[in-house]
Amino acid sequence: MPQVLTANRLLDGEVVYLASDGAWVEELASAAVIATKAEGEAALVTGIEAERNQKIVHAYLFEVIDTGVPLRPVKQREVIRAAGPTVRSDLGKQARS
Amino acid sequence: MYRYDEFDQKIVDERVEQFRGQVARRLTGELNEDQFKPLRLMNGLYLQLHAYMLRVAIPYGTLSSRQLRMLAHIARKYDKDYAHFTTRQNLQYNWPKLADIPDILADLATVEMHAIQTSGNCIRNVTSDHFAGASADEVDDPRVWSEIIRQWSTFHPEFSFLPRKFKIAVTAAPKDRAAIKVHDIGIVIRRDASGTLAFDVYVGGGQGRTPFVAHLIGEGIQAGDLLAYLEATMRVYNQYGRRDNLYKARIKILVHQIGPEEMRKQVAAEFVEVKAQGALALPQAEIDRIQAYFAAPAFETLRDDALLAQQKAQNKAFAAWHDINVSPHKMPGYAIVTISLKPIGGVPGDASADQMDLVADLAETLSFDEIRVSHEQNLVLAHVKQSDLLVLWQKLDAAGLATANYGLITDIIACPGLDYCDLANARSINVAQAVSKRFADLDRQRNIGELKLKISGCINACGHHHVGHIGVLGVDKKGVEFYQITLGGSGDETASIGDIIGPAFAENEVADAVESLVDLYLNLRQPGERFLDTYRRTGIQPFREKLYAAH
Ligand code: SF4
Repeated sequence: MPQVLTANRLLDGEVVYLASDGAWVEELASAAVIATKAEGEAALVTGIEAERNQKIVHAYLFEVIDTGVPLRPVKQREVIRAAGPTVRSDLGKQARS
Repeated sequence: MYRYDEFDQKIVDERVEQFRGQVARRLTGELNEDQFKPLRLMNGLYLQLHAYMLRVAIPYGTLSSRQLRMLAHIARKYDKDYAHFTTRQNLQYNWPKLADIPDILADLATVEMHAIQTSGNCIRNVTSDHFAGASADEVDDPRVWSEIIRQWSTFHPEFSFLPRKFKIAVTAAPKDRAAIKVHDIGIVIRRDASGTLAFDVYVGGGQGRTPFVAHLIGEGIQAGDLLAYLEATMRVYNQYGRRDNLYKARIKILVHQIGPEEMRKQVAAEFVEVKAQGALALPQAEIDRIQAYFAAPAFETLRDDALLAQQKAQNKAFAAWHDINVSPHKMPGYAIVTISLKPIGGVPGDASADQMDLVADLAETLSFDEIRVSHEQNLVLAHVKQSDLLVLWQKLDAAGLATANYGLITDIIACPGLDYCDLANARSINVAQAVSKRFADLDRQRNIGELKLKISGCINACGHHHVGHIGVLGVDKKGVEFYQITLGGSGDETASIGDIIGPAFAENEVADAVESLVDLYLNLRQPGERFLDTYRRTGIQPFREKLYAAH
């Protein structure tokens, strides 16, 4: 299953994703989709590097649904991280889009 | 209420500056996350799903208006205009930025507040009866003793690195409103035959993965010996508590494994030693000193209010709120008011900055400047004149704070769950909202009577589901939320742990399941029985049959 690398930004805890140009982006839609194990390992190395540079905290991979556009995480936890609290649509990323 | 002395203020101020330095060093990279994490947790700062979360300690749930206004101010200035009151009588901000935390802590320190002891393996914020000092059934103000315990346990060198977190609750009334039997140590203060205060110490209760009701370990401990007895208990725990296994490191596991009899013996032996050293003996002068902070406010000599009946007759909504949310006070002419933070379909325990300011104003003008936070995630104005109730209700109502549901099925405890919490398996708030909407009709709620519904988003049980008359526990099945229902739990003086009824339900089935359980209770109940009473009489079988009949 394809994956995405995520973390929380050190400064404000904001959920961020690794994009294909190496930037950390706030929107899941802009995240790089990681297809292979080797790509996943490379992404994790980037994550560790970013942790060392005080950009982010705790980078990890999570699974996204295969064919989905827009990208949709498999697990509810990541769906909620990508949007914000389901009980407060005025808060989090969902409030900005 | 308790006021900081110079020493308290100095320690708290120093901690703020120390943490300011630590945050600065984290931001420059001098400290990495592994080094920083234990430091931030010692200052109540967590990293949750969407952002950092700051947990502020509210010792035994008592706040002044000035403090509550500061909490509102912080919500406005540094957060998103609201905050969440927790089952530990604490308050959480869900969106603070790391760089702002030192300023927030500095603001808190100006009103004698902090976020210490809200995390980590220490003795946590002591919790107590939210009706303390007001209820007719108490023998003493339990906050005096909570404060004495707080002072003893704060920064105690032996207790800063316990095997696990440690929770103490205190009540001084036969009716237990502080759920003391599901704490590591629960204390019941009573008067013995001679009228002297005596302390019954229950040890080894707790929720979480392996829930237990505490055992009575120390009976009739004298006031002057209380700290010595607690110290003895802590030493036994510290010696034997298993540090090798996170899930087994709680004192409840120790008591369960060696048995209450052996625990009693061990603590008694240690107690003799601690007493012999003498350092922890509580002199009467010290008790008096703390007691003075909690002296009763200047109550007027009143009679029960004659107008009230008329006001109720003229205003049905006020009458309902009065019947449900107003409790008797020990002084004639006064009343205890529960301000429900459970509007129908709302988020249990959340309050906006404006609402906090309003409650602070009302407390200042109508309730001797004091607010309580209950472990059931409501606010309490403990000393309101009965003649002020109508005005109070009108102001609360205008701010969406007059929901009449104290103790009813929509007065739901729910932890933040997967909407916020990094440890969650499933959401809790959404389930609370679904059940709340289902039972919105007040006549129906009143017909059902007292029913404590409690929801946790994972086995850590912050939502107290184990002691819900109906408990709901969120579980994760391959990334999908499911909910396990337990019945027959109780957190009061008849404490019990709920029984799992059967296989878990999907999210959209929970409100239906709760409704069938409630309908069955209404069919089965005998006159005067609450849900819990009926359940205890009939056992789980009829409920199980009803719930799974269609499956
Ligand atoms: S019970 Fe679990 S999900 Fe709920 S607040 Fe506690 S840790 Fe988080």
